[in-house]
Amino acid sequence: MGVKGGGWRSFSLDEIGSISEKAEKTLKEMNKYDEHIHLESSLSSLKAISTIILGYWRNSDNPINRDWFILSKGHAAPALYAVLAEVGLLDKEELFNINKVGSPIQNHPDLSTPFVGMTSGSLAQGLSFSLGISTWIKIKNGKGRVFTLMGDGEQDEGQVWEAITHAPVMKLDNLTVIVDLNRRQLDGSVHEIKPKDYMPLVWKAVGWNVIFCDGYNVRSIAQALESALASNLPSVVFAETSHIDGGR
Amino acid sequence: MIDLSSQREVLAAILEELGERLEDLAVITADVGKSTRAYRFGKKFPERYFNVGVSEQHMISFAAGLSMAGARPIVVGFSVFLMRAWEQIRNSLDIMDLNVKIVGTHSGFSDFADGSTHQSLEDISLMRSLPNMKVVIPADSIDIQRSLPQIVESIRGPLYYRIGRDESQVITSGYTYKFSLGKGYVLKDGYDVAIAGAGPILSEAIKASDELKKEGISVAVINLLSIKPIDEELLEKYARKTGRIVALEEHSIYGGVGGAIAEVLARKYPVKIKFVGTSTYGRSAKGTKELWDHFGLNSASVVAGCRDLLKSSK
Repeated sequence: MGVKGGGWRSFSLDEIGSISEKAEKTLKEMNKYDEHIHLESSLSSLKAISTIILGYWRNSDNPINRDWFILSKGHAAPALYAVLAEVGLLDKEELFNINKVGSPIQNHPDLSTPFVGMTSGSLAQGLSFSLGISTWIKIKNGKGRVFTLMGDGEQDEGQVWEAITHAPVMKLDNLTVIVDLNRRQLDGSVHEIKPKDYMPLVWKAVGWNVIFCDGYNVRSIAQALESALASNLPSVVFAETSHIDGGR
Repeated sequence: MIDLSSQREVLAAILEELGERLEDLAVITADVGKSTRAYRFGKKFPERYFNVGVSEQHMISFAAGLSMAGARPIVVGFSVFLMRAWEQIRNSLDIMDLNVKIVGTHSGFSDFADGSTHQSLEDISLMRSLPNMKVVIPADSIDIQRSLPQIVESIRGPLYYRIGRDESQVITSGYTYKFSLGKGYVLKDGYDVAIAGAGPILSEAIKASDELKKEGISVAVINLLSIKPIDEELLEKYARKTGRIVALEEHSIYGGVGGAIAEVLARKYPVKIKFVGTSTYGRSAKGTKELWDHFGLNSASVVAGCRDLLKSSK
């Protein structure tokens, strides 16, 4: 089964599923070489990343006609590298050099890496950056679409409010945000630190098309992305990934 | 006829004019479109004018995204509140060397009535510490006219442009110099002391120079204009010539224009420097000049600084 959104190469959802599984093994292997990578957070974002990159992302030399992938939760970059390595866009051996001072493979995304649309790592800034890109695309009548991956801990940032209240005003139907609901943030459980169960209601209240999916299921993610792309509102997909022992 | 004493009026006229010529020009502001006069660009080019609401952090990252997609954004905000978005300026913009210009208005004591929370006295030091950021501070409206169009049209990468508000004296109308990034300009030549600084406060340097001239003391006045990069050659030349420098700025003496001068001279040709600037927060007043006098940012302080330096030999 293919995806309707149309990507740079046509990977079936089954292929994306099996590539994700291989990438997961690579990620765990990378962690043996450098324990500073954010492993759990990369694992929980892996399938959202592979589905977007392999199933949807479209290229063009014109910045307003290409798609953009912004990893606002920049600490999930190792998951992106692992996926890119599985499809031959990065050298797999190089992945194990992650965080070596001379290696191009950085702990957070850098513009020099394929598919990276922003040097990111400081939370919430990728969301505002995405709004800027999708706004200019819209004004110039471009065909490009913007996919942005955020964390649930990231929702604590005040800048998230500044940005989510702006996107509906700009009518950004070319913007899709995925929130990885892994229920963890740096200091521990999201629930204990600052609950975020109300966040979908907040996004909905300010004018977003809100979608839920199983973040460990490629079909569920693809279905959510299809519905996001069909909407005439900016869309946010809350991807449930907290059931560590389940789908993955 | 444009009011040359109002830096924000001159800014608006230039943005309108540039908008005609540059189709990729976009202006972004955070609910200070009226106060900064940026709204006038918006009236002419509504599609390319973005008022993001009271959201300075979002404004910077948003402008960086516009730039990534091909726009040529100019962010216009109160310089004091742009500091709130310093980390966004660092991580969304400067780190990728994106072509976004930041115009900080109402700098120094120019927002006299609004008091300490609105008076920006630390922005130069914050901005010039960023690796890719350039910093330009026009002395008056004429300096804005000679520098801003060129900056927007032909200087790539992030640049912080610091202006005031109203009540700005025109001091460079009699000069024919052209703006060039990294160049400073001699407004008055002299050989006993050199005053180097930037911004509207230079009007006090000229007064001080005139006053000391009456006593036969020859004081040079240098309009640095470009703070980063800074004119190292010119500073070294005047350090050698006069052996005494007074650094003048409407900003904290810690890390600002004076700091930049000291960094150069410590390497090139160390001389004694007197720092005239602020070291505390501002307060409300009835006018900018009143605040300059209150905080000792005036010709009297500059004259005192010059006299002090003249007591010691070169």
